[in-house]
Amino acid sequence: MLLPKFDYHEPATLGEACQVMGDLGQKTKALAGGTDLIVNMKKKILSPACLVYLGRIKEMKKIDSSNGLFKIGAGLTAAEVAEMEEIKNNYSALSRGASCLGSPLIRNLATIAGNLVSARPAADFPPPLMAYGARVVLKSSSGERVVSLDDFFKGPGQTLIAPEEILTEIVLDKLRPFSGAGYIKLGTRQTLEISLVNVAAFVSLDGPDGVIKTARIVLGAVGPVPLRAPSGEKALIGEKPSEALLAKAGEAAAFDSKPIDDYRGSAEYRRAMVDVLTRRALNEAINAARSNLN
Amino acid sequence: MSEYNVINSRAPRLDAPGKATGRAKYVDDMSLPGMLYGAILQSPLAHARILNIDTSRARSLPGVKAVVTAKEAGLVKYGVSPARYDETLYCHEKVRYVGDELAAVAAVDLETAMDALSLIQVDYEELPAVFTVEQAMAEGAPLLHDDYPRNISAEVHQEFGDVEAGFKQSDLIKTTTFVNKRQDAAFLEPHGCLAEFDLFGQLTLHTSTQVPHYVMRTVAMVLGIPVGQVRVVKPYVGGGFGPKCEATPLEMSACLLAKVTGKPVKMNYSREQVFLHSRARHQFIHTITTGVKKDGTLMALTNECHLEGGAYTSFGIATVYYSGSLLGGPYKLPNMKYDGYRVFTNRPACGAQRGHGGVAARAAWEQQLDMIAVDLGLDPVELRLRNIMSTGDVTCNVLDMSSLGMKECVEAVRDGSDWNAKRGKMTKGKGVGIACGFFVSGAGYPIYRSETFHSTVVIKLSEDGGTAQLLTGSAEIGQGSDTTMAMIAAEALGIKLSDVRVTSGDTDLAVDLGAYSSRQTLMTGHATKEAAEDVKRQVIEVLAQELSIPPVDIDFKNGLVVFKNGNVDFSKVRTSYIQEHRGWTDPPSGDLTFKEAARMAFLAKGTIVGTGKYKPGRLGGKYKGAAVGTSPAYGCSAQVVEVTVDMETGKVIIDRMTDAHDCGLAVNITSVEGQMEGSLSMGMGEALFEEVKFDGKGKILNANLGEYKIPTALDMPNVKTIIVESNEPNGPFGAKEVGEGAIMPTIPAILNAVYDATGVWIHELPLTPERVYRAIQQAKK
Repeated sequence: MLLPKFDYHEPATLGEACQVMGDLGQKTKALAGGTDLIVNMKKKILSPACLVYLGRIKEMKKIDSSNGLFKIGAGLTAAEVAEMEEIKNNYSALSRGASCLGSPLIRNLATIAGNLVSARPAADFPPPLMAYGARVVLKSSSGERVVSLDDFFKGPGQTLIAPEEILTEIVLDKLRPFSGAGYIKLGTRQTLEISLVNVAAFVSLDGPDGVIKTARIVLGAVGPVPLRAPSGEKALIGEKPSEALLAKAGEAAAFDSKPIDDYRGSAEYRRAMVDVLTRRALNEAINAARSNLN
Repeated sequence: MSEYNVINSRAPRLDAPGKATGRAKYVDDMSLPGMLYGAILQSPLAHARILNIDTSRARSLPGVKAVVTAKEAGLVKYGVSPARYDETLYCHEKVRYVGDELAAVAAVDLETAMDALSLIQVDYEELPAVFTVEQAMAEGAPLLHDDYPRNISAEVHQEFGDVEAGFKQSDLIKTTTFVNKRQDAAFLEPHGCLAEFDLFGQLTLHTSTQVPHYVMRTVAMVLGIPVGQVRVVKPYVGGGFGPKCEATPLEMSACLLAKVTGKPVKMNYSREQVFLHSRARHQFIHTITTGVKKDGTLMALTNECHLEGGAYTSFGIATVYYSGSLLGGPYKLPNMKYDGYRVFTNRPACGAQRGHGGVAARAAWEQQLDMIAVDLGLDPVELRLRNIMSTGDVTCNVLDMSSLGMKECVEAVRDGSDWNAKRGKMTKGKGVGIACGFFVSGAGYPIYRSETFHSTVVIKLSEDGGTAQLLTGSAEIGQGSDTTMAMIAAEALGIKLSDVRVTSGDTDLAVDLGAYSSRQTLMTGHATKEAAEDVKRQVIEVLAQELSIPPVDIDFKNGLVVFKNGNVDFSKVRTSYIQEHRGWTDPPSGDLTFKEAARMAFLAKGTIVGTGKYKPGRLGGKYKGAAVGTSPAYGCSAQVVEVTVDMETGKVIIDRMTDAHDCGLAVNITSVEGQMEGSLSMGMGEALFEEVKFDGKGKILNANLGEYKIPTALDMPNVKTIIVESNEPNGPFGAKEVGEGAIMPTIPAILNAVYDATGVWIHELPLTPERVYRAIQQAKK
C-alpha cells in the first residue's frame, strides 16, 4: 500500500508547531508516532494535505512533578511511559496500560497524545488515565485550555480537539495516601491485541482498613467512547471493600456498559466480561491503595 | 555415537549467515534494468456477471505500458489437478468471489499501475451469492460453475471393511460434529515475482514459490509457450505452508505483461491480496461416528465431511480425499466409511495448508477418542496404546506403515510430560490432553498423472576436486532442505559438509516436484544420495586404476581416502597432484584426500558429474482415489499439551507442550526440532485464534495480521521436543517426514486439555475466550 502525497513540516518548538497548525488549519494533521495515522493514510481512510511532525518538540517529552500535580508530556511514547520509574511506582495502572499497548515495535513509536486523539474505543491509555482523573492540555497559537479526559472523547475517532490544537500534556493529581488504581485488558492472545474489553478502576480509602471515599471505574471497548460506570462507582462509596461489594460493583458496571456485537465479540460476552474485569481491576486498585502509604 | 559422519547431527543451516546478515535475496530485493511494475484488478463483488470492461482510460494514462484482460490472455483453463481445471487467468463471463482477477496493468511505477487500475471501468450485473456449505448445496441455489450441480466441486465415497457389521459388534457408539474455520497460512513474505523474456523469447520467472516445477508447467500451458522455454527460479522464500504450492494469477500476469511489453515486470501481492488469493486451509465440517468394544478396541468409523471450498477447486480434490484417508491410522481400525463433499462458495478458493486435508479430521476424531475414553473409564493414553499400529501394519485403506514409532511416541510424551501425575489430578482450570497423528512423507503420485521422476539431482565436482556442487530443483522455503540435501550428499560421498555447495529451486538444474506433502527429505534425499554415490563410484574407479587396486577396497570418509585392506602406496597420485597444483595453496600431507582423488578423476574423465533420480514404486490399493494418502513412508507424532483456562473469562493459555515425532532418522536434528516447534505453533494458532472472517457480502473483515491473529512469541510456551527414530526402509539413510505430521496432534491435544481443565467438550474452533466462556456457562445450566 502506498502513501498519498502530502506536505510535511517538522517544527522544533511548540510555538512553531502551534503557528504551523494555526496557519494550515483544517487540511492538516499532527503526526506523532504515526502508528494509526500513517496506516489510515495508506488505507486511504484519511488524506490530510499536510502533516506536522511533533516528534522533535522537547517540551512534549518531559515529566514534571510540582505543585501537587504530575504532568506527563504527551509526546512520550508508550515504551517510555511503561518504563518510567516514577510512573511505575506511583501510577502503576498507567504503566500497565502503556505496556499492554500493541507490540514492542508499536510501543516504541506510539505516543500518549496519538493514542488519545485517535479516540479508539478500545485504546489502552484512556481507561487508566481517566481512572486517575486525568486532564489534557490543548494548545494553539491563540492560547491553551485544560479539559477533563472524561469530557474529551465524543465518539469513535472523535474528540473535542480543534483542528489547529495540539494535545501537549496530561495532568494528574498527586496520589493521596491509600489511593491506587488497577488496569486489566482482555484480548484473545497475549500481545498485539485490540481489547475485547478493558477496565481501569481507581479507589481512595480513608485508611488501610477503611471505607472507600472515592471510586472511578472506566470501561473500554463497551461503548463509542471509554465510559465511566456511575452505578458501579456509586455502589462502592462509603463501603468497606469485600468480595461481595466488588461483585456488586462489577454487576453494576456491567449494567452501565453499552457494548455492541461486532466480529471481535458479542455484546453479551463483553457485558459479562465488564463484570469480571471490574472486580479484578477493583481488587488490584484496593491492593495498590492499601500499600500506598506515601 | 552415531554411525554417520555428517547426518544425524546438528549442522548450522547453510542459509543462516545470509538471513542473519540481511544479504539473503528475496524476490522483492531483485531489480532489473527497465523493469516495470504490475498490478491486478480484482472484483469488488462476490458473484456478478461481467457486462463490459472498458480499459481505454487506463491505457491512455501516461506511464502505463500494457493493460491485459481475458481478451489478451485468452481462456486457457488451468488449476491444480487436470481433472478440475476450472480457472482462467482473468474472468470473462463472471466473477465468483471478492478478489477474482479481471485485468492486470504494467506501468513505469507502482503508483501509476495502481492509478491505472482505478481507471478501468467494469460494468457488472450482480448475482445472488452463496457463502456457506448449506447455502451452496440448497435446492435451487445459484451455481458458481454450470458443470457442477449443487455446487459440489468434488465428492468421495469410500468404504473399507464392513462398517455396519463393525457397529453391530460395538459396545459403545459415539457421534460428534466438529467444525474448524478457514485459515490463512500467514507466511511472512507475501507472494512476489519478477518475469523477464530474453531476446530469444525464453522466459525466466523469479518467484516466491514452493513448487518451481508446477509453476513452470502452468505458466507454459496458460501462456502457450513450450515448457522448455520457461525457467522458474526460486530465490529465498519467506515461508509457504501450502498456499504457495500452485501457480498464481500474479505469476502468470507478470509473465504475460513481460511478454506484451518486452520488459521485465515485477509484481507483489499485498497482505490483503494474500488473504484474497487464499489457497489456505478449508473449513471442514466433520460428523464422525466411532464404535468401540468395552475394552476400547476400535471397531468402526464413519466420517462425513463437507468442505467449504471457495470459488475454484485448487487442491480441493486432494483435500477432500485426505480428509478421509488420513484417519486410516495410526490405530488399528478394521472398518471405515467416508463420504466427503467439497463445495464451491463465493469466497476465495481454499487449497492445501500444512497437514493438508487431515488436520480437522484428526482433531475431530482424537477428541472423540478422548470422549470415548472418558465414557469407558479408560485413561486416554491407555485407549490409544490398546489400538496402536506398529511397523509393518497396513491400514484398512491400504496405507503401508513401513516404519512406525507411534507407540514409542505416545510413551515418550506420557513420560516426558509427567502425564500420570497430572491427568485428572490438577486444580480446576488446569489440565492436560494427549493426541496422536501421522502424515505422508511425500505424496505417492505427482499432481498431474505422469510416470515422471519426482526428483532428479545432479552433483558436479569442481575441477580441483575440492567442492561438490549439488544442483537440484527442490525448494528451500525456510524449512532447511538445502542443508539437509548438503548433509545427505556429504555423507554419501564421504566428504565434509563444508565442501558441498547447493544450488536449488531452479527448473533449469533438475526436476523436482517441490516443497509440499513433506516430500523433499525422502524424495529429493533419495535422488541426492544416488547422485552422490554415482560421483563416488566414478572417482573410486579412477583412483583404483591409478593405484592398481580393486575399487571395492576404496572408501571416502570425512574427505579422506580410506583403504579398507590396509595401507596402499599412493605417492604417485600425490606427486602428480602436487605437480598439477604448483603454486596452489594446499600441498596435502598425511592421508590421501578425496580432493586429490577427485582431481585425478577430472584429469582422467573430464568434469565428474553424478546424477540421481527418485520415484516411488506402485503404492496403495486399487479402489478409486487410492492414490491420495499413499506415500513411501509415514511419519507419526504424539503430543501432550498442558493448559490453564481462566474459568471466568474463558481465556486459554498454553503452559507446556511435549511433542514426540518419529522422523525415521533425523538428518539435521536442529531442523527436525524446528519443524516440530513450527508445526505446534501453527496448530496452536488454528486451535485458539485463527479465523478468516467475512461480512455478509463476501468481503474479508480481517485481511491483515493485526486482526487475523497468529500466535506471538508470548503465546508460545517452551516445547519439549523428543525425536523418536525408527529406521525407515524406504527413506534415504532411514529418513522420513517431519514438516507437517507434527501439526496433526496439536489441535486435539489442546481440545482434550481444555476438557481436562474445564470438564467441557468444545467442538468448534477457534477456542476464543468467548467460545470457551459460553461453553462453560452452558455446562453450568
